Amino acid sequence: MRDVARDPAALELLRVQRSRLADRMRPRWWYLTGVAIMYALVFAVPFTSQFLGVSIWPIFAAASAVACLLQWGMTRATGIKMGFRNLRYPAAGRPTRIAVVVVSLAAIATEHFLIDRGLPAAAIVVAALAVAAEVALLQAALRGIRQELRAGGAA
Amino acid sequence: MTARPDPLIHPITRLSICGLLAAGADWVEFAALRDAAGISDSVLSKQSRVLEDAGYVEVRKGAVGRRPRTWFRLTAEGRQAVQGHLAWLAQLEEAVSASTWDAQQARPLPGDRDQPRRVLPPLLGSS
Repeated sequence: MRDVARDPAALELLRVQRSRLADRMRPRWWYLTGVAIMYALVFAVPFTSQFLGVSIWPIFAAASAVACLLQWGMTRATGIKMGFRNLRYPAAGRPTRIAVVVVSLAAIATEHFLIDRGLPAAAIVVAALAVAAEVALLQAALRGIRQELRAGGAA
Repeated sequence: MTARPDPLIHPITRLSICGLLAAGADWVEFAALRDAAGISDSVLSKQSRVLEDAGYVEVRKGAVGRRPRTWFRLTAEGRQAVQGHLAWLAQLEEAVSASTWDAQQARPLPGDRDQPRRVLPPLLGSS
């Protein structure tokens, strides 16, 4: 076994290996599709409550089930379990998480506003844009995690 | 955190395993760790057992259907040792790059050899 005591190139090798590990965290097509379906369920809440009289909770239960399934699938596919560390992790993805909450609240409020004023078509457009924005934000968050894995930020 | 070498993490395979587990993931699966480190199944099994015996790595075995799955993660003690060892290696890297830079500065550049000849004759001629 090669000795590394006088070989700082070992750190360079470790950087390459961490980069390889980070590359496994790239989301698959089914993951992004599943996330889009999950957010579509969430942003359908103003419509279902207004037109179908369905309460919020069954929709949120379905969205949570999809989220859990996606997380399980992603862990199985990548072989990396991230777990919940704290709200500051990953540092690079922190603004992204705030943006996710802001987009969700703003989209639901706007949809309610438009439906109340008899503009359901505009509300559908808002919901579709919000789903696209959430998927883009998720990709940004995963980019942040990959960046942290490459840098060994949590080490 | 104290930067100090750890003889157990010193060999490059164990350094790779520990360094990857310290990258930020909570648990890393056997195949993911093997592929990222670029080592064989047997080497990973052998070295991970050494790290597990030392209390640096926690191993969880399970199965998905009929396929066995092994997950690894660093213990608190292991994480501390890895951080110290990586900090020590980073210091070593800095020292090596600084000494290389000094050596480059001390060595004359190809054009330097002609420099005194170009400067000195006019001075000698003028005196």
